[in-house]
Amino acid sequence: MIPLQFYLIVAAILFCLGLFGALARRNAVAILMGIELMLNAVNINLVAFWRYVKPAAPTMDLAGQIFALFVVTLAAAEAAIGLALIIAIYRSRDTVNVEDVDLMKW
Amino acid sequence: MLTSQFLTYVAFFVLSAIALIGAFLAVTLRNLVRAALGLILSFMGVAGIYFVLEAEFVAIVQVIIYIGAISVLILFAIMLTRGLMTSAASTQNSQWIGAAFVGMLMFAVLFFVAITTNWPLAQPHTISDLIPRLGADLVTTYLLPFEAVSLLLLAALIGAIVIARE
Amino acid sequence: MPILVPDINLRIIAPALIVTVTAIVVLLGELVTPAERKRWLGYLSIAGLVVAAFAAFSLWGANASGFSGMVVADNFGLFLTLTIALSAALSILLSIPFIHAHEIDQGEYYVLLLASVAGMIVMATATDLIVIFLGLELLSLPLYILAAFQREDTRSLEAGIKYFLLGAFSSAFFLYGIALVFGATGTTNLAKIAASLAQSAGSPMLSIGVGLLMVGFAFKVALVPFHWWTPDVYDGAPTTVTAFMSVAVKAAAFGAFFRTFQFALPALALDWRAVAAVLAVLTMTLGNVAALLQSNVKRMLAYSSIAHAGYILIALVAMSANGLSSALFYLLAYTVTNLGAFGAVIALSDGARERLEIKDFAGAAREHPLVALALTICLLSLAGFPPFAGFVGKFLIFGAAVETGWAWLAVIGVLNSLVSVYFYLRPVVQMYMSEPAEGWSGIRVAPLVALALLIAVISVIALGVFPAPAIALAAGGLIR
Repeated sequence: MIPLQFYLIVAAILFCLGLFGALARRNAVAILMGIELMLNAVNINLVAFWRYVKPAAPTMDLAGQIFALFVVTLAAAEAAIGLALIIAIYRSRDTVNVEDVDLMKW
Repeated sequence: MLTSQFLTYVAFFVLSAIALIGAFLAVTLRNLVRAALGLILSFMGVAGIYFVLEAEFVAIVQVIIYIGAISVLILFAIMLTRGLMTSAASTQNSQWIGAAFVGMLMFAVLFFVAITTNWPLAQPHTISDLIPRLGADLVTTYLLPFEAVSLLLLAALIGAIVIARE
Repeated sequence: MPILVPDINLRIIAPALIVTVTAIVVLLGELVTPAERKRWLGYLSIAGLVVAAFAAFSLWGANASGFSGMVVADNFGLFLTLTIALSAALSILLSIPFIHAHEIDQGEYYVLLLASVAGMIVMATATDLIVIFLGLELLSLPLYILAAFQREDTRSLEAGIKYFLLGAFSSAFFLYGIALVFGATGTTNLAKIAASLAQSAGSPMLSIGVGLLMVGFAFKVALVPFHWWTPDVYDGAPTTVTAFMSVAVKAAAFGAFFRTFQFALPALALDWRAVAAVLAVLTMTLGNVAALLQSNVKRMLAYSSIAHAGYILIALVAMSANGLSSALFYLLAYTVTNLGAFGAVIALSDGARERLEIKDFAGAAREHPLVALALTICLLSLAGFPPFAGFVGKFLIFGAAVETGWAWLAVIGVLNSLVSVYFYLRPVVQMYMSEPAEGWSGIRVAPLVALALLIAVISVIALGVFPAPAIALAAGGLIR
């Protein structure tokens, strides 16, 4: 059996790569890509905890997986909203706002 | 027995490598279309990790929604804001060193706690009727969040149409 | 397979349910409403909010939980529900003429606002981290769109995308925090987390998880150093949306913040109280100092809202019953006061042309004495002058801090309030002491804006002069 820690470390690396991407990119779509990676890291954690950690209540032993499914749904909703905003900005012919974003500054 | 365990380890390491290399490409490549392809690679690796964890349903959802829907949306967005694919300008902002520092610091913290924490571990359990139980739980125990998330999708749908229509 | 019976208790989610149904009715009504009657959709939304407020009031003292412990109707959540409904109703009153003047009067504006309200109510009454998170997202996604609703204006679109990216980014931290807490305790239910922590000592993973949760909340309520998106977003978004989100998001997010930390994590209080105290000092000080430097009213009110989040955080640090009730009272007082201030700013605008620079307010008192008086009352209340609501709120919060041995924090709070007097009085001085600027003549204040302003100002004075009933209601608001 693979130790739980291995999954947590993979998730931590993935989260931090996403974090780096979100902070270091200056294009809105690329920042969104970094955020999606961070959400994937969260889901690895949730599913790994579902498999390994003793649930506090026996009726809620699927909490980790179900939460992961909610996170996936949310990621889809966020991507749709993000794309819609980017299209709206693109229509206003002002691509600068999509292509010159800096999460650490502003 | 020993070989199957060995194979699980191999699968885990290969899939993790795919997920992490894909993620690295996604956050560093200048050409954003290629970066998005790296993202898809990473999503596939993560789906594989779910299979190793025996969460098949989440793995399939990952493939359908992340690779099937979200990646396509992202590629669509990149191609809409054209000029990005070919532009010579750097896609990194001026703070990438600071960002790298923040990322590494975060990793150091998470790595430290991952290896020092004693987890309340249970015997890893396999549930034979996993998918029926997921379905049943979603409409019983998790009914309220399930309805909340459906309202969330409706709101996102309306919002996206409102803001993107002509 | 046995027949499964979900734990349905529609009564306790009645307020959120009524708001949701109203949103769907407005969405369908939009299809059949001719362009010149769009304002009726706004009235319909307000009617729905009033009914939801009555539903919340009828639940007072019910203290029932339902849906497998996912949500609770306790007085704390109901007080916040009432505050949120009030802020939404006043915002819609301001919005009806505003979105008409700016030619963005689509029914979807109200639909999104109501969806956001439903998310806020869910968040304020949730007792499970999954539901808190989903409520947070349900309140945020519509706000990203509402911030960008003035699609002709690049700054509004820019505010929308900034708010969206920062919101999604902070959600990822919040989620990672929830995942770690879930891993350390085996549950996402707040009561079970508290029970699990009462038995076993914390682990490093739990501490980091709690820290990330705090980062997530800090982004949403705009605490320093996670505040930097606030001025740009508040500045760029349509003024009515700014007014709404500056108060209602705080009520919902602080509700969940208090519930999570004070109710589920008292075992770790020694650590998070110290961190929260530092954040409170930074937030109050930086918010007020930065507000001193602004020449634009919207940006000034943005920094002022950051500073107010700092004051409310003091109540969390106090971690007592009085702290809790003082925070509830403060959130209500801040809601009516800030909406009054934004309402006055909207009242002084000339159709689609808004006056947002402080120097534009010169001489307003001569042309619009009543609006100027209303703005003055609201700004004095924000600064914490008696006999207005803001004074009572600050008094209660600082009192709760002193009681629990955080007198130094209260002292810093008082000093900050003194600093804030300077920038809150600048528009007042402009209105009363300067010669009138050009173009005041011919501006008529829309009746609905006047009504909203009247309600807000009466509430500010009533809460300041007769605070006892509201304090009593807030004091009943113990978290269950």
